[in-house]
Amino acid sequence: MARPGILRDWFLIRRDLPHRRRLALAAVSFLLPITIWCVVSYVPWIWHPDVKIELSAEREGVTTVFTAGDHVSPEFFPEFQAAVRAENKAVLAAREAGNPESGAKRKNQKLLRQLAPVAIGNGWLAYDDAQNDAVLYPLWGDLATGRKTAAKPALTAENLQIVRANWELLAAASPVFAFAKLPDEPLLKLIPQGRPANPVYLPAPHEAIRAGIRDFTAAAPAGEPTMFERYKRSLRIILLGFLWSCVIGIPIGILCGVFDFFSRLFEPFVDFFRYMPAPTFSTLLVAVLLAGDAPKIALVIIGTVFQMILVISKTTRLLDPSLLEAAQTLGAKPRQILGRVVIPGIMPNLYNDLRILLGWAWTWLVIAELIGVKSGLTEFIETQGRFRNFDRVFPVIILIGVTGFVTDQILSWLHGLLFPWAGKSGAFSRGVAGVVTWPIRMVAEGARERIAANEAYSRTNPRDKTR
Amino acid sequence: MSATLELPDYRAQTPEVAARFARLRERPVALEVRNLTKIFDSARGPVTALRDVSFSVHKRELMCVIGPSGCGKSTLVRILAGLETSTSGELRVYGEPVSGPGPDRGMVFQGYTLFPWLTVKQNVMFGPLVAGRPDLFAESEAREWIDLVGLSKFENAYPHQLSGGMKQRVAIARALANQPRVLFMDEPFGALDAQTRCKMQSYLLDIWKNVDITIVFITHDLDEAVFLSDRILVLDANPGRVHEVVEVPVPRPRSEAQIFDPSFMATRKHIDGIMHPPGQEQKETPVMRLAVSDPDVV
Repeated sequence: MARPGILRDWFLIRRDLPHRRRLALAAVSFLLPITIWCVVSYVPWIWHPDVKIELSAEREGVTTVFTAGDHVSPEFFPEFQAAVRAENKAVLAAREAGNPESGAKRKNQKLLRQLAPVAIGNGWLAYDDAQNDAVLYPLWGDLATGRKTAAKPALTAENLQIVRANWELLAAASPVFAFAKLPDEPLLKLIPQGRPANPVYLPAPHEAIRAGIRDFTAAAPAGEPTMFERYKRSLRIILLGFLWSCVIGIPIGILCGVFDFFSRLFEPFVDFFRYMPAPTFSTLLVAVLLAGDAPKIALVIIGTVFQMILVISKTTRLLDPSLLEAAQTLGAKPRQILGRVVIPGIMPNLYNDLRILLGWAWTWLVIAELIGVKSGLTEFIETQGRFRNFDRVFPVIILIGVTGFVTDQILSWLHGLLFPWAGKSGAFSRGVAGVVTWPIRMVAEGARERIAANEAYSRTNPRDKTR
Repeated sequence: MSATLELPDYRAQTPEVAARFARLRERPVALEVRNLTKIFDSARGPVTALRDVSFSVHKRELMCVIGPSGCGKSTLVRILAGLETSTSGELRVYGEPVSGPGPDRGMVFQGYTLFPWLTVKQNVMFGPLVAGRPDLFAESEAREWIDLVGLSKFENAYPHQLSGGMKQRVAIARALANQPRVLFMDEPFGALDAQTRCKMQSYLLDIWKNVDITIVFITHDLDEAVFLSDRILVLDANPGRVHEVVEVPVPRPRSEAQIFDPSFMATRKHIDGIMHPPGQEQKETPVMRLAVSDPDVV
């Protein structure tokens, strides 16, 4: 007992840990990656190789336009700022020389909108209302006079000075927005602001959560399905595909496992076919089954069913042959052996096979949704990924993961209920299932209490029974 | 065992035992095996597992089959149960030739082979149900058999909840519920610990006393064979051949105390001599002297 307590308690060779410690470790196994994600996202000196622009500016004669939210390299950002400062210097110089440029109304209107990301960030403007000049215009005044102070993001002292300088010109012309009354000479541009950030493909947790909540609660753009409709459609494809795979694959698999005849007849071809990647059939499937969900479901089936036949035939063959012999000596005929011994005997293992195959089916779903007319969650991931909106992509990827994981844990828990003779389900899956089935159990509990109360009532009032 | 103890001839039978064997021989032949030969095809050419095995078992007899390992006991019983085919030879149950497995010949395996997804009761009901008996009938019958092996309390338990001895009792009840004409038992107690095995042997004799059943019992345990049997079929190894059929002179009913009877010991010694001939003993237990480095042990 010379080992220190912590080693003795947690590190035991080939020995199971107590229930509580196991649950704690299960929680830690999830907390650990999340913590790493948070640390990388929020502790500035760990990584942060980019600058995320919080406030942008357009440059004269440069076609590349950065908008707030874009990422640039830390080497380029000072150049960007310097370019804008140089433009401001030129404007001021022209102004002092007495010959400012004229006809800059349109340019000035755009320039005023530079404040929009700051206004949105501070909650003064709606997310999709960046061109609302009527709100933006007085905001310049509010910031210049100090009635409002930007906090998230804050304005640099340099930019605050520019705001004041511009407002002097603007206030002289009009207190509210009117295009005709905008100054004719160019205003000063706000200098781009940015902060160190991780690459765009790794949004911070809060960004992903915020984007996820927005996507799942907001109404969909016209003509596009909402996230829940997408989710439902994805689930429908995977369930139908998997169900059809089971309908085809389970009987053939069992027959192959039981009868050498079927094994020799089907397995060589199946073994060959499964090496042809399912996605290679996508164009063919679309040509045969046309657009819509049919080719997608067919792709899930092609991806799943051939593996299923082989896995199930193997599982069937693994059934203890002495059970078949015992059944024979008890007088069972081949059909009875199949129905009374083989099928019930392989059920628990077959069930576990199906769980694993369902996991594979999710992989095929993602490919299936990209063929023909893109649809479902994958279409969203694909589109948003192209726009580099990875903060909107992450929640959807995680949703797919959570769906698969929770389904599998519930199925694992059901395994213990369905096949009590094949061992208990794991504590973790029981925990997950306990959380998921909580509402159902509450309803059942209520019903049981009501029945018990009724019984107690009829016991105390025996006459009621005769009615 | 001291050398001074004089054992009687194993063939010497008291008048009661002799009369019993006379009655036994008059009973109809339940199982007749004639010139049974089994040749396996192996990679190194054909291997004769059994050659010209002939014997008969009378109704309500309990016969043990014993022999050194590799004598083909298990092959023999598997052929008798119809789980394997013989290369040549004939097998008759009450005069009718049989082939393939059937409910007329029950079997208890060493590995229990209970259906793990069925409860004790459902396991015992299996035979009657596949024979087409109605559920209720099969159930009440199963209860009787479970009662006979003393497991009424466990009729709704699953096999994985039972001990080895209990599992084997269920397997016996399951085989008997089918009411076979001959019951084969292939080293049924081989996987049990010594104490449980003793108890199970007494159980088996109790059951056999109460049920009209002919039993062919495969074992490699000499004491078990002598304790249980009316007659013992002793097989030679390589190839498996009938060496002798020994009539056990120990009177019935048997009890554990009888293992010290001179008749018991004489029978045991005789069969032991057949299975381990004096010249061969060295060969079968090679002593690895070279591997021992401890001078005290050498």
